[in-house]
Amino acid sequence: MRSIIIKSFVVVSLLGTMAACNKKLDIDPRQSIDLETSFKTEEELDQGIIGCYSIIGGGALYGTNLNMVPELLGAAGTAEWYGTFQSYFDIQEKQMTPNNADVTRTWAAAYRAINIANVIRDILTGADGATIVPDAARRNALIGEAEFIRGIMHFELVRLYAKQYDASTINGLGVPIKLKGAKDQVAASEPVTRGKVGEVYTQVITDLNSAFQKLPANNGVRANRFVALAFLSRVYLQQGNYAAARDAANVVIANGGYSLPGNDLRSPFTSKNTKENVFEIQQNDQNNAGSSNDGLATFYADTETGIGRGDMNVSADFIDEYPVGDKRVAAWYYTGAQYGGIMINKWISFGQNIPVIRIQEMYLTRAECNLRLGTNVGATPAADLALINNPDRTGLPVILVPTVNDIVQQRRLELAFEGHNIHDLKRLRRPTGTFAWNDNMLTLPIPQREIDATRGSLEQNPGY
Amino acid sequence: MKNMYGLCVALLMLFSNVAWAQGKQVSGRVTDAKDGAALPGVTVKAKGAASSTITGNDGTFTLTVPESTTILIFSFVGYAEREVPISADMNITLSVADKTMAEVVVVGYGTKIKREVTSSIARVTSKEFENQPLPSFEQALQGRAAGVFINAGSGKLGQGLNIRIRGIASISAGTQPLIVIDGVPVTNNAVGTEVEADNPLASLNPDDIASMDVLKDAASAAIYGARGSNGVIIVTTKSGRAGRTKINFNVSHGFSEATRMRKFLNAAQYKELIGTAFKNRFGLSDADLPNFWNSNLAAPGLDEWNGGYDENWNERGFQKGYVSNYAISITGGDARTKFLFSGNYNKQKGIVLGNQLARATARINLDHAVTDKFKLGTIISLFRTSNQRIPNDNAFSNPVQLNALPPIQPAYLPSGELNDFTIYYNNLIEQKYAFNDATGFKTISSVYGEYELIPGLKLRSQAGVDFTNYQEEQYNGRETQDGAPQGQAYASQSTDYVFTSTTTLNYNKAFGDIHKLDLTGGTEYIKSSYRNVASTGENFPNSRFTKLANSSKITAGTSSETGYTFLSYFLRGNYVLADKYLLSASMRVDGSSRFGSDTRYGFFPAASLGWVISEENFLNNSKLLSFLKLRVSYGKTGNAEINNFASRTLVTSAAYADLSGLVVSQLGDPGLTWEKTDQFDIGIDYGFFDNRITGEIDYFHKNTTDLLLNVPLPNVNGFNGVVRNFGSMRNTGFEFVINSRNLVGAFKWNTSFNISTYKNEITRLVSPISPTSRNLSRLEVGQPFGQFYGFKYMGVDPANGNALYLAADGKTTVAWNTPQSGWGNFILGDPNPDFYGGINNNFSYKGFDLDVQCQFVYGNDLFNTGGLFQSSNGRYLDNQTIDQLNYWKQAGQITNIPRPIYGRANGTETSSRWIEDGSYFRVKSVNFGYNIPTRLIKRFRMSNAKVYMAASNLFTFTNYSGYDPEVTSGATNAINIGHDFYTPPQIKTITFGLNVGF
Repeated sequence: MRSIIIKSFVVVSLLGTMAACNKKLDIDPRQSIDLETSFKTEEELDQGIIGCYSIIGGGALYGTNLNMVPELLGAAGTAEWYGTFQSYFDIQEKQMTPNNADVTRTWAAAYRAINIANVIRDILTGADGATIVPDAARRNALIGEAEFIRGIMHFELVRLYAKQYDASTINGLGVPIKLKGAKDQVAASEPVTRGKVGEVYTQVITDLNSAFQKLPANNGVRANRFVALAFLSRVYLQQGNYAAARDAANVVIANGGYSLPGNDLRSPFTSKNTKENVFEIQQNDQNNAGSSNDGLATFYADTETGIGRGDMNVSADFIDEYPVGDKRVAAWYYTGAQYGGIMINKWISFGQNIPVIRIQEMYLTRAECNLRLGTNVGATPAADLALINNPDRTGLPVILVPTVNDIVQQRRLELAFEGHNIHDLKRLRRPTGTFAWNDNMLTLPIPQREIDATRGSLEQNPGY
Repeated sequence: MKNMYGLCVALLMLFSNVAWAQGKQVSGRVTDAKDGAALPGVTVKAKGAASSTITGNDGTFTLTVPESTTILIFSFVGYAEREVPISADMNITLSVADKTMAEVVVVGYGTKIKREVTSSIARVTSKEFENQPLPSFEQALQGRAAGVFINAGSGKLGQGLNIRIRGIASISAGTQPLIVIDGVPVTNNAVGTEVEADNPLASLNPDDIASMDVLKDAASAAIYGARGSNGVIIVTTKSGRAGRTKINFNVSHGFSEATRMRKFLNAAQYKELIGTAFKNRFGLSDADLPNFWNSNLAAPGLDEWNGGYDENWNERGFQKGYVSNYAISITGGDARTKFLFSGNYNKQKGIVLGNQLARATARINLDHAVTDKFKLGTIISLFRTSNQRIPNDNAFSNPVQLNALPPIQPAYLPSGELNDFTIYYNNLIEQKYAFNDATGFKTISSVYGEYELIPGLKLRSQAGVDFTNYQEEQYNGRETQDGAPQGQAYASQSTDYVFTSTTTLNYNKAFGDIHKLDLTGGTEYIKSSYRNVASTGENFPNSRFTKLANSSKITAGTSSETGYTFLSYFLRGNYVLADKYLLSASMRVDGSSRFGSDTRYGFFPAASLGWVISEENFLNNSKLLSFLKLRVSYGKTGNAEINNFASRTLVTSAAYADLSGLVVSQLGDPGLTWEKTDQFDIGIDYGFFDNRITGEIDYFHKNTTDLLLNVPLPNVNGFNGVVRNFGSMRNTGFEFVINSRNLVGAFKWNTSFNISTYKNEITRLVSPISPTSRNLSRLEVGQPFGQFYGFKYMGVDPANGNALYLAADGKTTVAWNTPQSGWGNFILGDPNPDFYGGINNNFSYKGFDLDVQCQFVYGNDLFNTGGLFQSSNGRYLDNQTIDQLNYWKQAGQITNIPRPIYGRANGTETSSRWIEDGSYFRVKSVNFGYNIPTRLIKRFRMSNAKVYMAASNLFTFTNYSGYDPEVTSGATNAINIGHDFYTPPQIKTITFGLNVGF
């Protein structure tokens, strides 16, 4: 018996020596899958597009920075940064360095979203595209959505990291245009250079037009064809192409199926996916841009609620710009607890949706363009403005004969702290405090790490 | 596989009690050669047969042996083994073994006689640290093992610590050594999910440890191949001893406090400084100050400025700690079976408010010889730890951060409630409404079998597990800062599992007197997995409810899993020629799931040579020099502590509100592989005056290449970077050890001293890695790891009190209120020490013994990052260190503290201003004991009894003005060594104990 045991021990031990084989080294990650094996089905391609939304909804983009950076860049007489985040303080002070953490992360996230959109689009437009997604309409819709993401990201980049579009800057430094996805080290190491401002706008318009053609009219909480068009309207307005901006806005209003601006001033921010909003970033209590060091509610909401940091204090001067009796003051502002500062009531909970385009913007754009062009496409400027500003909604009398300035001012009051500030100031050629509209310091620097990582092939903006 | 081992062991246990055939009977008595005293417990064995016995209390034995047996072997721990032909009445004397000849060290997969070692190994045995109040066993190496630099980081209990063997050999992979406990490589990284690492090995009972052997050079560590670059610590636990069953109790109690406290301003001083800062900023007058403070900053209705409040916030964050320890061990056995049972309960109350660690352990170590040729054994250990942890250094809830609160704000309001109107969070609230508990269950257990196939050739198999279950529960009531407005709780459950199966063949044989050969070959398979489940909930009815079940909103939930495998083959040969010429060579082939598909297997060879010069004829008769050995080694090791799946390009899920999406999450390099270290070592082992003085001298040169780096890529192409093998680093250094038996009579006095150096230089990088936010550490080619770099503070302009910095030209100075683009960035300091080591003195006289161990570190710089707030001349409302009172007051005044201007950065940018010399000398442990004479305790049936007093960190001598110079803030990443940020100081402990044996 004993010898059997001993023999079996020896055999088992020696087996242990031999049994070891290569297979044991092949273990796979459990929360991830290999890119090589991914995006081979329609479902995964669709999920790749959803992945792009999750990136653009993050704190680096619409979740925080594409709102707060334009607000802080344009903060002169509107609000003041009270927080401890040095990077935001420096943006407000127009003292960004190329190492600014927020300047860096917004750039990185935007291009990351572009890359994934390109990876998906490459597959769909490639040799296997028709095999994986046989339904042409469905395939086109996904391609269009990828182009939508790519288009709006290039647009956000070019208006933050390059000079305002005009005749003198068309051939100036824009941002790199990426139309191909990178999946390996070779593609990820490709040299990059900046496109011209004009080229970037042309590409953005191409993408958004294509998206408008390809996207369905209804796409759930994701972008549909009218969202693409609404962005296109924004792009044209930024360029000063009033006719195109007007026409795009007009189609959104006429055919988008959105409701008229409502009298409940809070619901566009507190209710999810109301018919008043054209495009919202989706959030819930679990998946949101952040609940302690990131996210709009974190920075905007007051400390007393136990939610926010109360970092952004509205200037009393800005409140004074609202006419006496304007209901929007009570609806959108409140007095904070700690320093008695004025807080913004638009961003108050971590899980709320973030409206990026509200229908009000489309009316204001159509009104402004019509007035500038002397046209009445869709409606008269006065009628459009009256939808925003009327006794029921704002508690103020309707402006019967509005001027461009009236409309622009209503736009400033209506869309305050929604990420329009610096962009409007620039297109209107208005100064920000002591900085002229085209001052170098109102353009974000190209992140230093990008210049380093490209070994200098990426050119820095003037002034940095 | 594992199950089969278990089955075999169980079967073997069942059938081991079979009786032996009859033979002849031999009897006799064994005594000590020195004094003729009876020796109980000596193993008496028939040579070439299975029969054996042990001697009784009077030294006598009777043994039945086969007729053919002619020789008996007598062996006893600490004594030289003897083989004696059988005679009628055997009277045997044994003498104490020549220590230097017999001393063994543990090497990977075996042991080796120290005399024949050709590599660099430091050994610390239990005798050196018994009865010491150690927060975790690794700290026993501090100051005792040359070449081992230990920084406990902070005085937080259960916290991870930094162990660096021979410098720093990695940037992104781990820098901690591999720890092998009884042949099982264990997890020594954090198992929990908190920012600041926990130490899963804090659950081990230091009393269970017999020895720790540190493999420092490549020749010794290369047998651990891809995991050997940071050195290897081999821990061997105590095992049973044949003889009468001995029961030992050890009980100790003690108290503890912070090694040092800082001094902060009192109310009057604070008012003077902050008042000046307000006046300089806002143009206020003295008369304005009370109202200015009270209306803007004070608790409602409280006249804080003139209310006579003088709160010592700094002390509020600390508490008096205590330690109590109860241990029992039972050892015994006979010639065939040896066992050890031990149990331990240890409770430590930390020095920081709310910090506590309790540990309960149990262990069975069992060895059994089934036959002469077949042995088996098991080690079973169970640990439970319960740790009340404290928040991260940089959290407002860290009790040490209370020192920032103004002394004119009282901790309690007149109503008796805690004051929650303080300028920063009054985290005393956390004591009542928050907790952060971690409970760990752990086992490190193994079984082995060993069979001698032919004389000298042994086959050994071992299967072992290191299993940890770690539960974290955090709760922040709505009253707390993080819990507002409705309470928040977090619960996490982590399991970490490492299975190791090792099979070795060992052939050990002497050929005549000239040749000795020792060959070891083997394979090893390691599989590890880590799982975590965690969730967060908010909205609790009130703070009487703390479980997630009570929350109305689950805001986060996650489960994750990761793992790795290693498959290895190794071979080692040792050859000794004429006891003089020593040759050793080893190789290991390691395959790992962590490495890229293109580079699965690595090869790690090493070779070493030794020459025992003292055995040569020309030195043979030297009276002065009793031993001299020269050894040289060279080898290659790896560092595989890289992310488990870093080599792959991956796609992971990404949630968009309720929608589930996919994103490309990581770009991988399929050629990714381990970091490689080539190490050369040359050393001398020496002994003088009949080995009254012994020691070692070593020089090492370590070249690490293929360092893992995140090589930055342009984000424009969609990826931030890719982890690749790119950088290089070099570490060189000396180690010097001397042990002296100064007095050897009735009064014994031994001294040992060790001193080590390392010089680190980064030799290749993609681009410099610059300091981030408030930190100063930087990595750059040609410079040491973690070098301080940034603005250079040049003191104060006597004319106006402006802080000055060195301008970019390196010659002139510029004031704080000039654009920072004109300030220069300079090398400011080096957090690496010039040298470090320890000195140990041991005295004994009759029943008394005294052990004093000191430890020192010299030449390292520390950066007190907290100085930005603590010592910043009234820039913030924070209470200030006492030195800030010497601020600039009038023109012409020479001082180093700028003019206080509230809210203005006059000298408060991150700069060299808070860099200090971190050198220290510490009386690390003092152990004074008295062995009560046997005649007094005999009637209580005790065999020994000892009363003792043990202290740790008793005295610290340093010029560092912070809490404690042994510091590594857990609030920053691993590059920022030598940073202090509201980090709690080390613990000074004094315990009194009683150790009784039956």
